[in-house]
Amino acid sequence: MDFTLTPDQAAVVDAIERLGRQFESKPTEFDGFALESRELEEELENGGYFDIASIPEMGPVTAALAVERLARSPYTVEVALSMLLRPHLDMDIPRPLALVENGRPGRFVDRAKTLIVIDGEEVGIAHPDPADVEAVESLYAYPMGRVKGALSVQPLPAEQADQVRTWIRVACAAEIAGLMQAAIDATVEHLTVRKQFGRALGTFQALRHRMAECAVLAGGVRRLALKAAWSGDPGEAALAAFHAQDSAGKVNYDVHQMTGAMGMTLEMPLHLWTYRMKALLSELGGRSGQAAEVARYCFD
Amino acid sequence: MDFDWTEEQRDFRATVRAFLDDNLPPDWEALAHGPGSAVQTTFSKQFCGALAQAGLLVPHWPARWGGRDADPWASFILAEEMWAAGEPRGGQYMNVNWIGPTLMRFGSEEQQARYIPPMAQGQTLWCQGFSEPEAGSDLASLRTRAELHGEVYRINGQKIWTSYAGHADTCFLLARTSPGKSGISIFLLPMDTPGITVRQIPSIIGEGDIHEVFFDDAEVPPTAMLGEEGQAWTIVREALSLERVGIPRFALASRMLHRAVALLKREGRFNHGAIDQAARAHAACEAARLGSYHIIDQRCHGQIPGPEASAARFGTVNAERLVAEFVVEHVPEALAGGDAMLQAHHQRAIVAGIASGAAEIQLNLIATELLELPREPR
Repeated sequence: MDFTLTPDQAAVVDAIERLGRQFESKPTEFDGFALESRELEEELENGGYFDIASIPEMGPVTAALAVERLARSPYTVEVALSMLLRPHLDMDIPRPLALVENGRPGRFVDRAKTLIVIDGEEVGIAHPDPADVEAVESLYAYPMGRVKGALSVQPLPAEQADQVRTWIRVACAAEIAGLMQAAIDATVEHLTVRKQFGRALGTFQALRHRMAECAVLAGGVRRLALKAAWSGDPGEAALAAFHAQDSAGKVNYDVHQMTGAMGMTLEMPLHLWTYRMKALLSELGGRSGQAAEVARYCFD
Repeated sequence: MDFDWTEEQRDFRATVRAFLDDNLPPDWEALAHGPGSAVQTTFSKQFCGALAQAGLLVPHWPARWGGRDADPWASFILAEEMWAAGEPRGGQYMNVNWIGPTLMRFGSEEQQARYIPPMAQGQTLWCQGFSEPEAGSDLASLRTRAELHGEVYRINGQKIWTSYAGHADTCFLLARTSPGKSGISIFLLPMDTPGITVRQIPSIIGEGDIHEVFFDDAEVPPTAMLGEEGQAWTIVREALSLERVGIPRFALASRMLHRAVALLKREGRFNHGAIDQAARAHAACEAARLGSYHIIDQRCHGQIPGPEASAARFGTVNAERLVAEFVVEHVPEALAGGDAMLQAHHQRAIVAGIASGAAEIQLNLIATELLELPREPR
């Protein structure tokens, strides 16, 4: 048990940190929902970051650290599935990746080169033509899309399907960890600056305690996500995704409550993180879906 | 970043588990009820003596004091296994975790020679004379006085909520030697000193757990003072930082959650509502476990744990609460004679947010030191 990063891991984490800082501010003129950055995506592609999980010195835990850090940016790029699921598919598939669950709209579906198609217990892979998918308007702060008609789906054997679900859960937990931290950071800034009754809001104990509880949850989500990435264990992945989705509900409510009307504006970037979290709440059956897997793997 | 145990750590955990298997009596679970009871105090002296003989009582202490200089992981693995088993060391866990190390750091040679060997042999019980009727979380407002009269300090006042005081040999006592926060000193006070009266407070926590302790002209020599006069705050801050993550409560909570789920599964009662709640409680236990491991890892790397220790403590409080609620809702018979260990866990869990400092104080520390929110006005 040693939580210190190896020099190789630290080098990647530092590089991702520097990259993240280049994309840490929402443009003042942007007042929409899905803030994307092709430039960030190119930086990640050119740096080979989408493949770091496959490098033995790095492994999935480094990829999870990268996913967590990049999720704190107001800009979104399809990162989590590419970094954490794609290396475990044992096949050469093009990115971006997107998840289509039971025919519902999903994030990045309109531009994905590979779709993970989940229909009940079945898991398959599809490579859609642009005509197969379309963009949809959404509050979710990701570019959302849906499949328009029938797709040619290559079903995966049961063992590989389980593997896919495990790494989707790890990716979901790692991404929520970063989104949650960014939402907390933005709220702390608001509570520090905004004054009422002659004092900064952050001096009121009723708010301080709620934010502290959010911070405790966020720390737990992050650590469970990293542990699951390290082990690749299906029970740990389900537990990490459960805790992430379960905690996201409380944190989302608290940060919006504490930022008041300001948090409702599109000027403040808070919604970019909270509505991305909301998009992830339903993945793989949401809390109940993860809980059933926790019961299966952790309470046998 | 590596979440795996080393072979040495695995072997150590296996050794501790084997020791527990060999040394806990068949009726241990009934005995575990009431960690401060006379029965458990007697048992814990026998048990800790055997632990000491096996080299498992204080492995993380310096060899000079009966340990073997093991790293903080050894003491935490030991604590996890002991707490998960219902803490057969009773109140002696405090000696091992923080009283002994604090005496090693701040005690005089005479104090060390007098008090540390019996701790290392598992033959002595201490109590912690901190809280008072008017000084709980606001410890700095304590009123118990220690006044120098000629060759002795004369102690007058009252402590309350004092765990293990009924059977303790020595008290780690905070008393006021002058006004203000810097006027508090620590005394190592034998509990058989004339002028000390102990009264047990019946509680839902269990037999012998909390007490009132009255001091009426109890006299101690100046050599009973730990450190310098007025140094209590410095010493206590360091001691409590050891205590804060010292108790791996999540270990027993997790074991009891698994026990409750196993019982429900046997009876076909592990249904959807229970599954969701069990997952939530399990996640809280594992999050608390990793939060605590993070602190131990920091100690191993020579770092002084900061506000993350408060976050780890609060995570553990969450875990305790969720498991206790799960048991009450889904295995209610446990608290009505159905399962002594589940009941014993419940009784320990309900004080998780109170013992060794209110959880709300930890939230304040997290808000100020981790989130860097502006401080509350004083």
